Amino acid sequence: MAITQTDVRSNSVQISRDSKPGPLQGAWWKWACGLLMIYVIYGATFIAQGAVGFGKEGERAHIVFFHVPCAVLASVAYFVGVYYAIRCLSAINNHNSRSIEDDMKSSAAMELGFLFCSLATITGSIFAGVQWGSFWNWDPRETSIVIMLLLYASYLLLRGAFNDHPARRARLSSVYAVVALVPAQFLIWVVPRIINTMHPTTTLSDPSNTSFTYKAVLYPSFLAFTLLFVWMFQLRARHLQLMEVRRNLHQENSDL
Amino acid sequence: MSGAAERHSAISVTGFQTAHTLCGEASFRVQTLALLKKDIRAELRTRIALCAVGVFTFSSLLLLALATSSLKQETVLDPRGVMRPAWDGIAKMGMLWVLLCFSAFSGLAHSFVHEETTGTAQTLRLCMQPEAVFAAKLLFNLLLLTVIAFVVTPVYALITDMPIGDPVRFLALMFSGCIGLSASATIVAALTSRARGTGALYGAVGLPMLAVFLILLLNAAHTLYMRDVALAQSVKDTGGLLSFGVMIIALSGLLFHFVWEDL
Repeated sequence: MAITQTDVRSNSVQISRDSKPGPLQGAWWKWACGLLMIYVIYGATFIAQGAVGFGKEGERAHIVFFHVPCAVLASVAYFVGVYYAIRCLSAINNHNSRSIEDDMKSSAAMELGFLFCSLATITGSIFAGVQWGSFWNWDPRETSIVIMLLLYASYLLLRGAFNDHPARRARLSSVYAVVALVPAQFLIWVVPRIINTMHPTTTLSDPSNTSFTYKAVLYPSFLAFTLLFVWMFQLRARHLQLMEVRRNLHQENSDL
Repeated sequence: MSGAAERHSAISVTGFQTAHTLCGEASFRVQTLALLKKDIRAELRTRIALCAVGVFTFSSLLLLALATSSLKQETVLDPRGVMRPAWDGIAKMGMLWVLLCFSAFSGLAHSFVHEETTGTAQTLRLCMQPEAVFAAKLLFNLLLLTVIAFVVTPVYALITDMPIGDPVRFLALMFSGCIGLSASATIVAALTSRARGTGALYGAVGLPMLAVFLILLLNAAHTLYMRDVALAQSVKDTGGLLSFGVMIIALSGLLFHFVWEDL
């Protein structure tokens, strides 16, 4: 029993040393994220003035400050997930033990992608209901995001089926993440050109539509959400790794 | 290929030495054709996959025909302000492919699941290149799906009065669709064949990928049924559909050994 005790300690120390926080060290950026978020919530209500194209005579559309960053993160998270999936596969190719860690990071990114995708779908549906009078129009972006949501869900489903076999789970879910790049790419580049759009992309992409105060809230909002994503990603990746350590310890104990 | 050959030459268990020298050194093409031939022969003996997919498709066809029999007279106002039948060629084509997608995801896992349950997958791992296994399974599924589509489509067209349009373009569309569908079904079958509840998982993992496929297919069908459409437009839209399958095949061919050589 004493041996397992020391094993427990050495194992947990090793993990906390291995999972370096990367370039964003320390707590300052987490404080920055919190302050930015407070500023965005305050600014969306009191600072920003209306934008051309929203509502009948250029309303502020507060939800845009939260909907657009969520929608952007929903697709960025997929690429983060695929990046770690490819790293995981190359680690497997080189017989590197890093593969499981990369797979955990891939999974963390995909879970966050699913979360932000759901948020973007819900806020987008509310916005569509107010702007166009119907909560669901099968607009290409609505179609894309709901398919994206399904892709994330099926990735997580595939992982769940191999929970008792981490090495196999790492291989299979990484391959699925990379193969599902094909539909994801078609969603981004092809589908919007096939289906006619009425999504207000032009409102935000043309700088003259929005006032300075509008941009002064929208751009920090992107930064705040990105920092939030990085923070959540680090926490979830470490949580998954620790759960893996705990699982291994359970197995060792039951073997003894 | 040299990497694969090295991996396999590391096997020195005497029992497998013969099998290894027999097929391990054989070329990719020979291995693929051998496995394909074996699969076709086994299928013709039992006809499990063919019958399962066939009966599934025909019974869902019957259900669909019953459910949509009242739709024939309905008309809708489309966005351009033209009255058109609600149940038009594109809708019929879409429904046909929904049927084929569900049939594919009910039966095409058989080729991998069968190898796993009978334990023959281990032999294949020892004496064949992974890429050859993938190619053989893909060709087998493509063949099976093409046969099913070839039988079901005329019956469906008769029941629902689905227009055909230009026959050559129609066949090109159907075949491109079969390639995309069998490619996705094959790689997802390889991914899910070792899970415990394979059946439910197979459809749930595979069908979200096909949502994009269906959008591309409906786009191609739209071009097919337009009047006086230029050949270039047809080639572009059917090519878009074909490229989906080709990209899936390329990526899954590259990554298949990760799925297959799993310990």
